[in-house]
Amino acid sequence: MKRRDFLRAAAALTTTAAATQIAGVPVRASSPVLALPPRIMESDNVLIIIQLFGGNDALNTVIPAENDEYYRLRPTLAIPKNKAWRWLSTDLYLHPSLAGDGLYGGGLGGLMDQGRLAIVQDVGYDNPNLSHFRSTDIWLSGINSSDPFVRLSEGWIGRFFARVLPDFPAVLPEHPLCVQIGGTLSLLFQSAKGDVGIALTDPQKFFELGRGASPDEEPLPELDAFAREFNYIRSVAMQADGYSRAVLDAYNRGRTTVDYGSRGLPAQLGMIARLISGGLKTKVYLCYLGGFDTHVQQQEADDVTKGVHPSLLSQLANGVALFMQDALQQGFAHRVVGITISEFGRRPYENGSRGTDHGAAGVQFVFGDGTSIRSSRFGTMPDLQNLDANGDLIYQHDYRRLYADILLNWFDATAEDTAAILGERIAPLNVIKRRTTTSSPLVGTEENAVVIAPNPVSSTGQVMLSLRQMAAVVLELYNTRGQFVGEVFHGLLPEGNSQLPLPPLQSGSYLLQCRVGEHLVHRSFTVAR
Amino acid sequence: MNRRAFLGLERHAPPRLTEPLASIEPYDVPLSRDDVLHLLRRLTCGPSVALVEQLTGKRAEEAVALLLGEPGTEPPLPSPGPWVDQAQEDPRGVDIVTRGQIEATWQANFKRLQEWWIELMRTETLPAREKLTLFWSGHFTTEFTYDLGYIPPQVLYRQNLMLRRMRLGNFRMFLEEVTLDCAMLEYLGGTLNVAGTPNENYAREMMELYSTGIGWYTEGDVKEAARVLTGWKASLYSDAPAPNGIFNTWFKPSDHDIGAKQFLGVTIPARDQDTNTEYLVRTQEVRRMIEILFEQRAEAIARFMVGKLYRFFVYSNPAATDATVLAALMDVFMRNDFELRPLVQTMLTSKHFFDPANRGVQIKTPADYVVGLARQLGVTLSGAADALARMEQDLIDPPDVSGWPGYRTWISTKTFPQRIAYANQVIASISDQHAQQFIQKFPGWRTIDTCVTELCQYFLPRPISADRTAYYKSILLAGAPSYEWSSIAADAQAVGPRLRSLLRAMVKAPDFHLC
Repeated sequence: MKRRDFLRAAAALTTTAAATQIAGVPVRASSPVLALPPRIMESDNVLIIIQLFGGNDALNTVIPAENDEYYRLRPTLAIPKNKAWRWLSTDLYLHPSLAGDGLYGGGLGGLMDQGRLAIVQDVGYDNPNLSHFRSTDIWLSGINSSDPFVRLSEGWIGRFFARVLPDFPAVLPEHPLCVQIGGTLSLLFQSAKGDVGIALTDPQKFFELGRGASPDEEPLPELDAFAREFNYIRSVAMQADGYSRAVLDAYNRGRTTVDYGSRGLPAQLGMIARLISGGLKTKVYLCYLGGFDTHVQQQEADDVTKGVHPSLLSQLANGVALFMQDALQQGFAHRVVGITISEFGRRPYENGSRGTDHGAAGVQFVFGDGTSIRSSRFGTMPDLQNLDANGDLIYQHDYRRLYADILLNWFDATAEDTAAILGERIAPLNVIKRRTTTSSPLVGTEENAVVIAPNPVSSTGQVMLSLRQMAAVVLELYNTRGQFVGEVFHGLLPEGNSQLPLPPLQSGSYLLQCRVGEHLVHRSFTVAR
Repeated sequence: MNRRAFLGLERHAPPRLTEPLASIEPYDVPLSRDDVLHLLRRLTCGPSVALVEQLTGKRAEEAVALLLGEPGTEPPLPSPGPWVDQAQEDPRGVDIVTRGQIEATWQANFKRLQEWWIELMRTETLPAREKLTLFWSGHFTTEFTYDLGYIPPQVLYRQNLMLRRMRLGNFRMFLEEVTLDCAMLEYLGGTLNVAGTPNENYAREMMELYSTGIGWYTEGDVKEAARVLTGWKASLYSDAPAPNGIFNTWFKPSDHDIGAKQFLGVTIPARDQDTNTEYLVRTQEVRRMIEILFEQRAEAIARFMVGKLYRFFVYSNPAATDATVLAALMDVFMRNDFELRPLVQTMLTSKHFFDPANRGVQIKTPADYVVGLARQLGVTLSGAADALARMEQDLIDPPDVSGWPGYRTWISTKTFPQRIAYANQVIASISDQHAQQFIQKFPGWRTIDTCVTELCQYFLPRPISADRTAYYKSILLAGAPSYEWSSIAADAQAVGPRLRSLLRAMVKAPDFHLC
C-alpha cells in the first residue's frame, strides 16, 4: 500500500475513534494558529531511554566509598574503595564495571571526564512501592498515585504525544514517533488515543513480515467493545505495514562506526544509532536491560567486582560509551540525550543470599553532548543513617524532575503541557540545556539574573530581578525535591528593576523558579526562622 | 471532568458502552451452534468441528461440566519422554564444558515439554483441561530461564501436572501446593530463604501476584511471611541431597526460623527443636499462614482471583457496569470456601457469559491463535513452540514473575505480522485433499452462500457485513459462477487453492484475532 493510502486509511479509522474518544486527553481546539505543527515535529532532538528492569542496586553503582556505614551494611557485597573509580577529588565513586580502563573509552568514567554524563542521586517518590510492576508503572506513567488500585494505563511519553499532536492518530506521522527495541510495547508508549510507538527487533524482518499486513476490512463504528478491539487490532496492523518500509529504508541507509557486537544492550544501542544515522525521524527510543532483580548472589564470592550485577553494569557502560563515540563520529551527538531509569534501588543492607532485596531511591544517568547537558553530579551521596521506616533510602529528587527537563528543555513542551502530563507542576532538574531562539528578557547571567535577599531568609525575603522590557513573569516555589509548593507571582512586570516579596515560609530549603516566556532561571534558598 | 479522567488514569480503552449485561443466573436453554462456538473459543484453544457437533443442543450446565472434567479421576497423560525422570548434576558446580552439555540437554528437553503441552492443547476433546492449565501457568508463574540460569524442565513438568490436577480444586490448598512446589522454591528464592537472612522474594509475590493483589499487606507482613517460609529445599540435581526423593521438596530444620511470627496481626507461635519437623512446620506454619491470609483477606483474595479469571475467560477490560457480576461471583467463591469449580462453573454457565455483548470481544492469546488454527483446520503443527515465543507467549517461560500482561499487549507491530506469517505457513501445509474433506464437513457445503456463511461462523466470532461475505465468496469462487460451486468443492485440485486463498485473507482480518 502506498504511504498516502496508508495515512488516509488510518485517518478513516480514527475519525470514528476521535468522535467517541473518552475524556482522556483534552484535544486542542483546531484554530488555524494551533494547527501549525508543534515544535516537537520541527525539532530533530532524540531521546533514548534505557530501562534497567528489576531494580538496579544504586549503592553498588555509585559507591559510598567514604561511608563506613556502607561497609557495615554490606559485609560481603561492598565494593572496596580502592577498586572504585573516583570522580575528580569528590566523594563520588563509580563501580569499576562502569568506569575505568577495562571499558570502552573508559566507560561512564570516560564520559564524565569528557563532560558528556550527568549523575542524579537518590531519585524516587513518596510512599515507595516495592513491587516491580507497580513501581515500573509509576516510573513509566509519570504518575505516582497513592491509591494502589488506580490502574496506570498511559505512559508519560504517550500522554505527551497524544497531547501535543491533536490529529494523532487520525494523521499518522511519516515515521514512527517512538521505537522500542524488542519486547511487548511498553506502557511508556501507550496513550488513551492509542499506541504512539512500535516494537521492533529486526528491521529486515519487520519489513518482510509487516509488508501487506494491512487488513482488507474497514474500521467499525465504535459502538461496543467488539468494535473497539477490532479497530485496535486493525490500527496495529496498519502501522506494522505502513512503517515497515520507513524503518527498513533508514536501517539500510544508516551505518555505525564502532563495533557494538551482536548481543545485549550495546547491540540495541547500535541499532538505534543506525536508525538515527539513516534518517529515521523517531523522537523517542526505548531499550531494555533486565536482570537487575539481584536477590541472590549478585556478585561472585571470591571477587566482589565480578558477577551478575557487575556484568550488567559493564553492558550499560560499554553500550553508552560506544553509542556516544559513534554519535560523535557521525555528527549526531548534539541531537541525542539518553537517560536510564529503574523501578527502584535496593535495600541498603544485604540479605543472606549475597544479594539485596527491593529498596527505594535509586540513581539515574544522563548522557549527551556538552552542548545538550550539564555534565555534573546532582544531589549528594545517599544518607545511610536516616532511612525510611522500612530501612530504605529516602529520595532527594522527585523522579519526574528529569521528565520535566526533557519535556520543557528537550521537547519544547510548554509549562502548562508539562504540568498536565506529569499531573502537577514539577521543577525541571536543569540537567538538559535549553536551546532558546530568543534572547532572555532578564538582565544578567543565569547565576545572577534573579537574586533572593537575604539568603538565608529569616523573617521576610525579597526576589529581585531586572527586565529589558515589560514581560509576563511567573515565580513559583518548589521544595528541593522539585515538587510544587506555591506561586509567588504571576503577571506582567515593567522594564527595569522589580522587587517582589516572598510569602511567609516554614524553615527549610526551597527552589525558586522564575519563568519569563520560554526562559527559566532557578535559585535555591533557605528559610531559617 | 475529574482529575483522574483528565490524566487518563482510568483505563486504556473506554469501557463497554452498553447497559449492564445479563447477570450470573444460569443460561438455561439448549445451546445453539453459536453458543457452543462461543463456549469452545473461551474454554479450549479453539473449536473443532467434532466438538461443535457433540455439544450443540446440550444445556450449558451439562456442556461446561463435560468440558471441565473431573481432576483426580483422569487417566495419566502420555509422558513427554524418559528424560522427565533423569536427573543431571548442578551445572553451577561443574566445569564449563559439562555445564554447557547439561544446559543444552535442558534446553532440548524444555522444548520437548513445550511441544508436548501444545500437542495436548491441539488434540484434547473432553474434558478440556489445557486452557485452565494455561491460565494457572500464567498465574503461578515459573520461568524456565531465570536470573540464576535454568529451572530443570523435569520439575517444570511436575509443576505443570500439579497445575492441571489442582485447576478446579480449593484455591487455598492450591496456594499451599504452589508455595512448596519444587520449581517455585527454586524460582523465587525459597531454597535460599534461611533463618537469620530471609529472602523476601516468594513471600511478596505470594500476596501481590498470587492471592490478594497489591496493597493488602505491609512490608512487615512480607518479612514475617518470609520467616515462616524459611528452611525449604528443592531436590533438583543428581548430586544434591534428596531426602524425599529426586524432584521433590524437603525441609532442613536448621535453616528454619523457629521464632514466633506476626503475620497480618495474627501470631504464629514459636516452636522448639523437637517440633521443628517437616510435617509440623508445614501444617502449623506454612498452612497456618495461608489460612490466616484467607481469613484476614478473604474479600481481597476473592476480588483479585475473580477479576483475573473473569479477564481471562470473559473479557479483559470489564466495565464499571460489570461490578455487580464480579461481586456476585466473589460471593460464590467465598460461600464455597474458595473452591474453584463452583466459581468457574457459575461464571461459564451464566447468562452474562453468553450475553451477545461478551462474544468476540476477547483478544486471542498466541496459544488460542496458533493451536486454534490447527484445531479448527484439523491439521498438525510444526515449530509451534517457537512460533508462540515469537508471538511473545513462550510457554512456561513468561517474561517475568507477573506472567503475561495479556489483553492488547498480545497484538503489537511486532507480533501481529508474526501471527500472519505463521498462519500462512500452516495454510500452505493444507493439501488439496485435506481442503476438500474439510469443506465437506460443513452441512451446507454444496451451496456457495451457505458454505461461506458456515465458514465465517466457524472462523469468526460475530456475523459479518454483506460486503465482506461477498468478498469472501468471490475469493472462493475465483471467477467461477455460483452454480459451479458444488463441483468445485468436490474437486480437490479446484477447492484446495481457493480455500487457502480464503484463509489467507481471513487471518489478516482483525476479528480473526478475536474470540
